[in-house]
Parts: sequence; structure tokens; C-alpha cells
Amino acid sequence: MSYIAGIDIGNSTTEVCVGEAAADGSIHFLTSASCPTTGTKGTVSNTHGVKAALKQAMSKIGRDVEDISLIRLNEAAPVIGDTAMETLTETIITDSSMIGHNPSTPAGAGQAVGEILLIENISRGVPGIPYIVAAPASYSYEEIAAILNQSGDSLDITGVILQADEAVLVKNRLHKKVPIIDEVARIDKLPGGVPAAIEVALPGQTIRMLSNPYGIATLLDLNAEETRTVTPIAKSLIGKRSAVVLKTPGGNVRENVLPAGEIYLDAEHSASVNLDEGAEKIMQVVSDAGIIRDITGQPETNVGNMFARIKKGMSELDGTANGDIHITDILAVDTLAPVLISGALAGETCLEKAVGIAAMVKTQKLPMRQIAEKLRLELDTDVKVAGVEAVMASLGALTTPGTKLPLAILDMGGGSTDAAVISEEGKVVITHQAGAGELVSMLIETELGLGDRHIAEQIKKYPLAKVESLFHVRVENGQMTFIDESIDPRFYGRVVLLSEEGFIRIEKDIPMEKIAQVRRDAKRKVFVTNAFRALQKVAPDQDLKNISNVVLVGGSAEDFEIPEMLMEEFSNYRIVCGRGNIRGQEGPRNAVATGLVLSYVGEKQ
Amino acid sequence: MIIKKPSIFIYANEPDAAVVKEICAGIEEEGVFFELNEMENTNLKELAWNAANDSMLGSGIGIRGTYIAMQMRGIEKNRPVESYQNPDKEQCRKLGANSARAIKKLPFK
Repeated sequence: MSYIAGIDIGNSTTEVCVGEAAADGSIHFLTSASCPTTGTKGTVSNTHGVKAALKQAMSKIGRDVEDISLIRLNEAAPVIGDTAMETLTETIITDSSMIGHNPSTPAGAGQAVGEILLIENISRGVPGIPYIVAAPASYSYEEIAAILNQSGDSLDITGVILQADEAVLVKNRLHKKVPIIDEVARIDKLPGGVPAAIEVALPGQTIRMLSNPYGIATLLDLNAEETRTVTPIAKSLIGKRSAVVLKTPGGNVRENVLPAGEIYLDAEHSASVNLDEGAEKIMQVVSDAGIIRDITGQPETNVGNMFARIKKGMSELDGTANGDIHITDILAVDTLAPVLISGALAGETCLEKAVGIAAMVKTQKLPMRQIAEKLRLELDTDVKVAGVEAVMASLGALTTPGTKLPLAILDMGGGSTDAAVISEEGKVVITHQAGAGELVSMLIETELGLGDRHIAEQIKKYPLAKVESLFHVRVENGQMTFIDESIDPRFYGRVVLLSEEGFIRIEKDIPMEKIAQVRRDAKRKVFVTNAFRALQKVAPDQDLKNISNVVLVGGSAEDFEIPEMLMEEFSNYRIVCGRGNIRGQEGPRNAVATGLVLSYVGEKQ
Repeated sequence: MIIKKPSIFIYANEPDAAVVKEICAGIEEEGVFFELNEMENTNLKELAWNAANDSMLGSGIGIRGTYIAMQMRGIEKNRPVESYQNPDKEQCRKLGANSARAIKKLPFK
């Protein structure tokens, strides 16, 4: 009797599987464990994670790590993934020509037209001219109301713009009701004496006049030529609850298209493609190019910098010279990123076109032998580097009940999506594709404008709910869940994530539906695209129809919705597809570690 | 039939005038009614808790001098949702706004 441990060091987790080899060559599985990978995959610092996982696994069966007689390490695929994002457009407001935002409590409703008059200059106002008064936060609501009421008899005040969040307070104290917009942070940038139009939407509606070019023309008395130039302003105000449009000569909203640059593919059929052409076109060119040796970007452009950054990051991590790093695959995804508009007065953002790219870098063989050597010394056991990762994963996946050869596996990890097909004769075809869990996190982070990768990762992992009272939450699928003990008021009214350890609060005020939508789209864009791409490469005759079974393994196969998305898509090709269940109990994880233990028997024979 | 406006209750004991003014402004900006009552009780947590339970909307504020607390119906007496000792202007405004946002089911500021 001897204990054999299979160890799979992945990008994010280290998996261990321990089995007992009987004299007749059969394997009896005893225990398994998983720990976070310490350090970058394929470096000696991984040994800490390996030891922790081994200890955890052995303690489950009341044994010590010393009892293990053989450790089998995976020959990790020498690919590392990285992601980058670049915006393609930018919006600029010139001459403070507009304010369009959603203050939580504006006051009054309707439109007003007038010349901007700063409150400190109110004594200089001329009777008979309509004015829109702008007041900074240094004036209290009572002072503002008093000044406006006093001047109201002599001056024609049609609307008010406030810096502080006090619109309702001012309105309640005014004798004459006018529309009031508040929470305009950069009120000091408002030019005095300029004709302006303001609008506050009715409750439950969005503005109607200022989001319509002819509406602006009507209010500000514009000719046909001027109306044409305000069209972008109107467009950018659609959907807002309040807005100000100023009639400044140079004032405009402009969308700049940034020079994105070309992507060069050094491949079987070398090609180049402009980033502007969008993700679909880029992916078409990538797939037509055949075997890719390296991908670079046009120097001094966004995309050039993007690829340079990826390569630089890789060389730092890997220790190889920059020139030796080759990007062998990319996955491009179209996305929209909310970016603060330059020249904005109230922190307005605009959805800019952007493209996210996951790149896969082939490195030299990872120094697995060094890790093996270190483990051998520290644990005093036999350590062997055995087998190619994808082959081991296939072996492990075959322990899923209900599978048989030929079989395709889809290993969805953090950095890359790998596919393998094993034929009935045991022949294995494998491929590695750029783009997996990390690209999904990046897309979620940018599209929601979170600026925080950690929370994006959690949004990817957990379902959403809205805390509707102190005793119940509404889950994203509409289900209500009641809670015995009152929910912490910090979560009240918020969108939260339902994690194992309780609620995680999402700080940014984004509707639950929007977050769910972005999350699902990101997963679909990355995993559905990649699943098809990967399987097509390994399928016999490159035809998906020649695949009958697909087993999903790897960390992202554990996701609560990705497997279902893929199942739906593959059902159109009559492919049986599902989450693997390694050894009938492990779920989609532990495939490689299990395969490593199993392969021991094959080697002995 | 007794008809009463649905309001946030504020139970106060020897309240500081400036504190009261800012709390009320916070509620007013959110567009919710409130009712201010002077009480004999000197226990801040009880003032807030009683106010929340007496209010038809289930949201109440206690003030004792310059100590303030916000409570909601259903929460333990000893665990007010939000409370301050000698708050500044912004904190008073925020506490008032939050008592209104509790009713509107909006996230607290």
C-alpha cells in the first residue's frame, strides 16, 4: 500500500488529490483539498501552497504528509494570460456649454430661460430681463431664499442653479415657484451674463425639451445652423432628470475618436487589422491567420502601448527578456466604459467605446523541475513531474459519471480557456485560448465604472439581491428571502451580493438589473466566444458537429451561470454539455490532480 | 376617524436649537413630513426608539441636548441605526436625510 498525491498548480488555486495504490494496480481515492496558489504559477514560491494543500488533504484522513510515498506534479501549460483595456472615443464639453446630471432631489418642474446671474451680483440685475440665478454653497438655503424673495418683486427670476443639495429647502421658502437644479459641483465655472435654459423633469420622467435639438432651439432662439451644432448636446442629455444648456459661442459637446492603431499578426498568413474595426472583425482576422507566432501593435498608438504593457508585465514576472515574449493568441471584446467627461460641471460621465483584450503569452517551459526538486528536499518524498496538463485534465474528467470516449473537455480557468479532445484510441488534441475569468472581471469593472477589481470579481461570483426592508431582500430572480434577525442598516436600500459569508455591499449606486445585465453579457462575450473558438480548433476536421460530449472543468465551470449559458448554446449543435463531476463528488475542480494519480497506474503497466 | 399626516417623529429633551434646525432641513430636503415633540425622558436611545415606534412611518429621531440618534421600527432599542455626540452641521443634515431615506427605501447617505 502506498499513498500517491497528484498536485495541480493553477493560476489561482493549487489542487491536491490523494489516492491509495493497491498491489493489483487499482487506485482507491482517499482525499482531496485545494488552497490558493502562492506566488505566480510555475515559480518556486508555489511550494508553500502545495505543502498547505497536502497538509489539509492528509489531515482529513488523519494522516501526516510524511506518509505520502509519491508526489506527481503537473507539467503546467507554459501559457500565462493578461488583460488590457483601451477607450476608443472621448467626449469633451467646451466652454461649459451644458450640465446634465441626476441630482436625487431637484425641485420644481418645467423649463426656464434666462441670463445667468451670479447671486453676489444680484443687485446689478436689470428689471425686465429674465434671469437664472446661480448660488454657491457658501450661501445657506435661508439666505438664498431671502435674497430671491426680496429681488423677486423687481427682477424676473425664472430658475435657480445651486451648488449644495438644497433645492427643496430653497423651493419651500420661495414665494414664486421656479425650477431649481442642485448638486452642481463646479458652479464657479458658470459664466455670468450668458443666455441659458434649464429644465427639471416631472417626477418619474426624464427631461423632454433640452434632450431635443428643436427644444433647445425653441428655448434659446437658435437658427437652423446653430440647431445643427447643438445636436450632440441634446443627445448627451437624453435620459437625464435635470439639465442646463448655455448659449456660448464656442460651446459644444464633441466626441473625439482616438487614434487606436493597427494590430499586426505575425502568423502563417500574416495580417493586420485596425482596432477601430471592432472586436468581431479582429477575431475574424485572428482566426483566419492560422498559427500565430507573435502579435504586436502599431508603435505610439493606444493598441501599441497596450501590447507593450502586456509584454513588459510578462517579462517582469517571467524573468525573460522582453523580446523573447510572444503573444500567441488574443481575444478582443467590444465594451462601453463610463468615463468622466472632460469639462463637466457636475461630474457627468459618458459611455465611451472601448475594447478589452486578453492576450496569451507562450513562455519558455515553466521551471516545474525546480519546484519538484524543492519539494523533494523539503518533504523527503519522491516527486515526479508527470504528464501534460490537458491530458491529465481529460483523464480526470473521464471519472465524471456518464462520460465515455471520445470526449471533449473545456477547461475554463482564470487566465486561459483550454480545450482537449480525446479520441477512442486515446489520441489527444489540445489548444489554449486567451481570455477567461480575469477578462470577465475586467469587463465588469470597466462597464460599471467600479475602479476596483476585487469587487468586480465578487460581482462575477455571487448573485445579486436588493435589501428592501430590514427583514427581507429581493434576489435578482425576483424571489423574496426573509431574514429572522434584522439586517444591518448599512445594507438598507442597497444592492448586495449574496456570498457564503453574508452580504457584500456594492458601494456604487447602480441598479441591480443593470449590474446583472453587465455581468451576464461579460460572461457570454468571453466564455461563449472562447468555448466555440477552442472547441472548433480541436474538433475532428474542425467541425463542431464531430463532437458529441463536452465536459466543463476548471474554476470558471463552478460559476453559477456560465455552464448553463454554454449548455444552451451547445444544445443547438446536439452536443451533450455539462459541468464535470470529478470522481462523482468533486464537481468541476480537481480534474488535473485526479488525472495525475490515475496516470500513475498507466505508467506502471 | 383621526386623520394624521404620516410623519417622522422627533422626540427631543432640551434640544440644541442649531441641531434641531439642521436635522429638520435634512428631512425637508428629502420631502418627508416631520413632527417635533418635547419629552420628559432623558434617555437618548429610548427617545429615538419610542419616536420610531410611535411614527406611522416607522422612522424616528431622538435628541438629548446635542446628542442625536436615528431609529427604525423593528430594530433593538440599544442599537440605533445612526447616532452622534456633538455632531457637526453635515452630520445633523445627514441623519435627518437618512431618517427620510429609510422611509423612501433609498440607501443611506
